[in-house]
Amino acid sequence: MTDKPILPVLIVGGGPAGLSAAHAVASSGRQAVIVDKADRLGGAPILQGYAKLVPSHEWAKVAIGGMVARVQQNPNVTSHLNTQVQSFDGAPGAFTATLRNGTVIEADSAILASGFTHFDSLNKPEWGFGTYPDVVTTVQVEQMISSGAGIRCPSDGRVPDRVAILLCVGSRDRQIGREWCSKICCTVSANLAMEIRELSPKTNVYIYYMDVRTFGLLEGEYYWKSQEEAKVKYIKARIAEVTSDGKRLVVKGEDTLVKRPITIPFDLVVHAIGMDPNVDNMTLASVFGVSLNRYGFIDKAASYVTLGETSRPGVYVAGAATGPETIDDSIAQGQAAALAALTRAGTRQVRAAE
Amino acid sequence: MPIHEKSLIRPENLQTNDHLVIDGVDVSGHWSTFIKPRTITDYNEAMEAVIWALPGGENIHRCWQCGSCTNACTVHAIEPEFNPRYWIYLIRQGLEEELLRDKDIIWQCVSCNKCTYACPRDVVPEGVMKATAHWLELKGHTAKSPSTHFDEGFTESVLATGKIEEGRVLRSFFKRTGQPLNQPWLVALVGGLIRRFPLAFLIRLGWGTVFRPRTRGWRKAGRAIEDYVQERQAAQRLALRLDGKGATDGRQ
Repeated sequence: MTDKPILPVLIVGGGPAGLSAAHAVASSGRQAVIVDKADRLGGAPILQGYAKLVPSHEWAKVAIGGMVARVQQNPNVTSHLNTQVQSFDGAPGAFTATLRNGTVIEADSAILASGFTHFDSLNKPEWGFGTYPDVVTTVQVEQMISSGAGIRCPSDGRVPDRVAILLCVGSRDRQIGREWCSKICCTVSANLAMEIRELSPKTNVYIYYMDVRTFGLLEGEYYWKSQEEAKVKYIKARIAEVTSDGKRLVVKGEDTLVKRPITIPFDLVVHAIGMDPNVDNMTLASVFGVSLNRYGFIDKAASYVTLGETSRPGVYVAGAATGPETIDDSIAQGQAAALAALTRAGTRQVRAAE
Repeated sequence: MPIHEKSLIRPENLQTNDHLVIDGVDVSGHWSTFIKPRTITDYNEAMEAVIWALPGGENIHRCWQCGSCTNACTVHAIEPEFNPRYWIYLIRQGLEEELLRDKDIIWQCVSCNKCTYACPRDVVPEGVMKATAHWLELKGHTAKSPSTHFDEGFTESVLATGKIEEGRVLRSFFKRTGQPLNQPWLVALVGGLIRRFPLAFLIRLGWGTVFRPRTRGWRKAGRAIEDYVQERQAAQRLALRLDGKGATDGRQ
């Protein structure tokens, strides 16, 4: 042991996973440094203006805002906003990170909590996003609710009589190179459907699905409840096309349970957009020297033994940076990555092998 | 391999035109058969609400189309067209025309309730079948079933006297269903009763048939039940948007 103080843990990303990791590191008495490219902490739930979160039904700005405040008030945590890591060198225990704004951070280890990017619906032009103003994404509906504006058609501000939510937009689709299930969209859609029904009881909500993947306990709280209490209708069809008859949107597809084509008029069509790898993942991979998996998310070195190791010893990963992830699991993974970073898991074996 | 889509073409959707010219091309005759589209162009959201309003249909919106009901169904085993899962879907989307194609088999549900015990979502498909059969009757799509005739005579007897007088209920059933009273088995039954029953019992039976004794204090109770029945029927008529003449008048 030397007298040299142990260096802080560098955390890339200030969303749920990063905030959770920072809090865990700081709680153990060590220093955490958060670097985030946005102008504030909170990640997607805050930056994208999510409404009520799954599974607690708390407002995002309250729940995640609380995590932000907790970290900001902690003297062991420093934040660098509006910047990114430009270079990252060294070895476990003595990394040097240089930020774009010139700041140099000496770090013991690093946690990549860099999250994801929402799928851009323009990549599925047949579903009308960008062509018709009344085709929106789940994120936009979240914003309608969280801003207090209510559910309205962007074209003329009317309250829709009928809303269609299309699942698997940007997920499970080889045509656009996205073979993964984004894990959260079914539950988010059921949640939004219930919110819409509550805000506007006269609005009927239809969810077009291939499968409904409201996994675990979310089944009862979201899928069953949305059907049984909010009377949301689920129709088994993957929509082929969204067009317009000049007045309303027309959703076309095949209802596979009656084996008949459908062309149904709707006022508002919502894309349940999936989770893409963060657009910066190529840069992150090259700066931090970590490998990506075949889908473009940051590769996890092991699924068991230690959670959160990457291909580079001393660099850890948590949350949606590794693949589609829920907020509560991201928070859990943030803590797991913090523990791995604090104990510098995976680095001793490497030394022994040398 | 047979073309699966062919099975979806219904005879009534085939059209041949004796004289038809399209863009100057003569397409008359059977060699250019046209198929009408099967596209569903809208949902009728009112239909599910109607089934909710009828006894047994309250949980129809819970269905997630797993098919457990159809798989468990006694009738489905001998009549493959009997498919509660499918009808529930049609009702939920309001595909009335499609449902009416099966109007003559929907009421054949034998109420064994196997589906009720198989259903993972507690839809009570047996109740939904009952509600649907009821809806078909109220709308005049099917004639009243024998069991409805029986129920009506039975209910009338109870409401009037607070008692069920078997002979009267039976006679009213035969009258309502247009069956002759001198059924051989009934004649044999009555003959047997007369021969074997003690005289005192027969006198009581005859007295009851002639004078129709009423349960003591029944007038008030009977009226309360009658009010309730009428209230429910009025609610059902309202849900079905039938006129105020009475639940059974809608069909003629």
